Amino acid sequence: MAVSNDVLKEFRKIGSALFTTGLNNSHSGNISMRVGNRMFIKRRGAMLGYLEPDDIVEVELYRMDGNLAIASTESRVHASIYINTEALAVVHAHSLATTALSLVRDEIIPIDVEGGYFIKKVPVLDFEYASGSKEMEDILPKYLENYKVAVVRGHGIFSCAATLEEALFYIHSVESSAQMIIYLSSLGVDSKMLEKGSYENW
Amino acid sequence: MLGYWEKYLEVDLTSRTVTERKLDLSVARKYLGGRGLGAYLYLQYCPDPDVEPLGPENVVIIATGPLTGVPATGSGRLSATTRSPLSRTIMDTNVGGMFGAFLKFSGHDAIVIKGKSESPVGLKVMEDSCELFDAGDAWGMDTEETVEFYKKKFSNPLSVLSIGKGGENKVLYSGVIADGGRNFGRGGLGAVWGSKNLKAIVTRGRKKPEIFDKSRFEEVKYELVKVIKAHPITSKVLPSLGTEGLMKVIDFYGILPTRNFQQGQFEGVDKVKGETLMETIFDRKSACWGCMIACGRMTNTGKEKGEGPEYETTWAMGPNLGIDDLKIIAEAGFHCNRHGLDSVSTGSTIAWAMEATERGVYDFGIRFGEAEKLVQYIDMIASKEGVGELLALGTKRLSERFGGTEFAMHVKGLELPAYDPRGSKGMGVVYTTSNRGACHLRGGYSVGFEELGSPRKIDRFAVAGKGTHVARSQDVGTFYDSAVVCRFNSYAVGMDIWARLLNAVSNTNYTAADLEHIGERVHNLERLINLKLGFSKKDDSLPSRLTREVLKEGPAADQELPLEEMLQEYYEYRGWTTEGVPTDQKIDQLDLRSDVPWL
Repeated sequence: MAVSNDVLKEFRKIGSALFTTGLNNSHSGNISMRVGNRMFIKRRGAMLGYLEPDDIVEVELYRMDGNLAIASTESRVHASIYINTEALAVVHAHSLATTALSLVRDEIIPIDVEGGYFIKKVPVLDFEYASGSKEMEDILPKYLENYKVAVVRGHGIFSCAATLEEALFYIHSVESSAQMIIYLSSLGVDSKMLEKGSYENW
Repeated sequence: MLGYWEKYLEVDLTSRTVTERKLDLSVARKYLGGRGLGAYLYLQYCPDPDVEPLGPENVVIIATGPLTGVPATGSGRLSATTRSPLSRTIMDTNVGGMFGAFLKFSGHDAIVIKGKSESPVGLKVMEDSCELFDAGDAWGMDTEETVEFYKKKFSNPLSVLSIGKGGENKVLYSGVIADGGRNFGRGGLGAVWGSKNLKAIVTRGRKKPEIFDKSRFEEVKYELVKVIKAHPITSKVLPSLGTEGLMKVIDFYGILPTRNFQQGQFEGVDKVKGETLMETIFDRKSACWGCMIACGRMTNTGKEKGEGPEYETTWAMGPNLGIDDLKIIAEAGFHCNRHGLDSVSTGSTIAWAMEATERGVYDFGIRFGEAEKLVQYIDMIASKEGVGELLALGTKRLSERFGGTEFAMHVKGLELPAYDPRGSKGMGVVYTTSNRGACHLRGGYSVGFEELGSPRKIDRFAVAGKGTHVARSQDVGTFYDSAVVCRFNSYAVGMDIWARLLNAVSNTNYTAADLEHIGERVHNLERLINLKLGFSKKDDSLPSRLTREVLKEGPAADQELPLEEMLQEYYEYRGWTTEGVPTDQKIDQLDLRSDVPWL
C-alpha cells in the first residue's frame, strides 16, 4: 500500500539522519509513528538511510495484522509501546557508545549539560532474548511510561516521544552523553564522580 | 492532607446555607482537581441533561488542584466548571491572579454553588468563617470598583472574584473577573453567576499546603525552574513581551485572522504587536501568585489604565476588526474586564456584525476599521442597550436570526480565537473537538507543534497524524487544567517533571503516562456529558468559511482543510466510534462507568 507523502517525507528525514550520523549501520534500527490506532513502521530489512515508499508498512496496533510479515522485527515492541504509553513516535537505534556503555552500566546518568536538561537518567534493561521478544513487549513500555529513553543491554536504545524528530533528538542526546563518559574514562576520569546525585532517584 | 484539604464548600443560594463537605481522596486522585474534579462534581450535582444553564438548577464548581498554592511556578491558577449558556456544553474556564492560592490557603479545595438567591449576594470564604452576605450595595459596580469596595469592607489581603454589568445583565459571553483584571473569560460563567444573583466571592487565608517530601520537592523544583529558564518562550518572549509576543509570529505564518477570518495577515500588525505595546503603552508587568514568568502587562493609554491587553484580546479588538489603534484596543480590553465580558467572544461578535453590515445582511451601524465606535459598542453590550441587546446574544444566535451563518465564526456557539486553521491544520481538529466549543486551549493548541516548534515542529500543512497529535495534546492540556497549573509551562516542562513534583507533594506514585491518562479520562467524561446533553458528530464541525473558502493571499494561501479525514483519525485514536462516541471498551479502560449515572 502507498503511504502519504507527509509520512514518507518524515520517515526519510529521520531515517537519513539516523544513518548519516552513524547511529545505525546500513540495515539496523527502526522507526515508527502512530496514526489513530495504526502505526507506520519501517519494513524489515529496509535501509533506513534510503527509504522508498514500499519500505514503510502500515500495521494495526490492537489486532494481529498480516503486514507483520514484512514489517520490522521489533514491530510488536513498538506496538506495545504505543498501547501502553502516550508515545506517538518510536525510534530504535544501535548507537555505538550508548550500547557499549550499557554493557558495563546498570543505568546511564548524563554528566553533560544538555543531558541534564532533557534526559537525566537512562535505565538499562536486561532481556534473555533481546530482539523483538515478548519479554521486551511486556517490560520496555513500563520504563518508557516515565523515561524518555531506555537501553536494551548490548542491543541498542529505544526512544519515544510525540514526534519522530523529538525521539531522534533524545537518542542523539544520550549518545553524546555516552561518548563524553567514554572519553573521560579514556582520560582516566571516573565520570561517576561528576554525576548529579539527585538523578539517581529520577 | 497532602495535596488536598479533603474538604469543599457546598453553597445553596436558595436556602442561603453554606455546608462543609468531605472531598473523597480517591476521587481527588482519580480526577486530580480543577477541571477534572469540576466535571466529576458537576455530574454528581447536576446529572439532569434538561437543566437550563441560566436556571437555578445549574451548578458552578470552583476548584483548586493538588499543586495550587505550593511554591512552584504556575501553581496560582483556579478552575471553574458549569454548563455554558453560550454553547450549552459542559465547560470549564480557568483564571490566573491570586484567588486560587488564597482559596487554598483558606483551607478549602473547592466550592460548589447551586440554587438562586432572591437578591444580590456575596460569599466570604475564610479559614474561620464561610458565609453569605448581602451584596446589594455592590450590585451595579464594575469589577474594579467591586474589588476596592470589598477590600475596604473585609480588609486586605483579600482576593475577589466578581461579575460586572455583563454578568448582572446575563450577557451570554460574560465572564467572572479575578481581582479586577484576570478573566474567567470563555463560555458565560458571568451570566450563570448573574442568573443566581451572585455578585462576588472573597477569600483569604494563611494555611499553607503541606509538602510530603521537601527535599525531593526542592530537587524537582530545581529542574522545573531550570527548563523554564532555558526555553526561549518561557524565559524570553513571555517575560519580556507577554503573550502579545506571539502576534508577529502568527502573522508571519499567515494565520492571524483578519476582518472576521477573511484574511490571514494584518497590514497593521506592526502597530499592534507586542514589541510596539512595550514601546508605547506599557506600564509594568504583572504576575499570578508565585509565577516566575510574569506574562501579564499593565498598560496606560494616557486616558485609561488597566490590565492587558494580552494576545487574544489584542487580536479580537484589533486585526479581527480591522483596527490598528493599540490605545483603543487596550481601552476596549479594559472595558471588557470592568464589565466582565469575554474579550474574544465580544470582539468576534462585533466582527460578525461588521461583516453583516458590510454585506447588507443587517445594519448594526458598525463597519471594519471603525475604531472610534468600539468602546461604545462594548459598553452597550454590557448594559444591553440599543444594538447591544442584540450583540449580547453572540455570533451563533445572531446569524441564525438574521442570516450570515456562513461567516459566523463559532463552533458549538463559542466564537473562534486567534488562529486560522487553514494554515495550521491541526487547529481544525482542535476547534471541533474542544468540549466547550471553539477553544485553542481546550482543543489541544496544535500551534504549539505546528508553528512554535514545541517540543518539535511538524509540518503544519500535513494531514496524516494530526488527529492523533491533537488528541494527545488535549490530554496533556487537560492534565494542566486538572492539576490547575499554568499552561505556559508546557512549552518547557515535560510531564516527567510534573509527575515527580506531584509525587513529592502528595506522596503519590504517578508516572508521566498516568497524568496523561487522567487528562484522557477527564476529556472523555466531558464528551460523555456533552453527548447526553444532545451534542453529536454533526456539532464537531467548522464554519463553512474555513472548509469551503481558502485564504487568497499570504503564507497559508490556497490551503484546504480536509476536516473529516483528520476527525476520523482523531476518533480512531480516541477509541471512539466513527460517530464520535466513546466505546464501552474505552469507558471501562478509563474507569468511568461508575461515575456516570446513565452508563
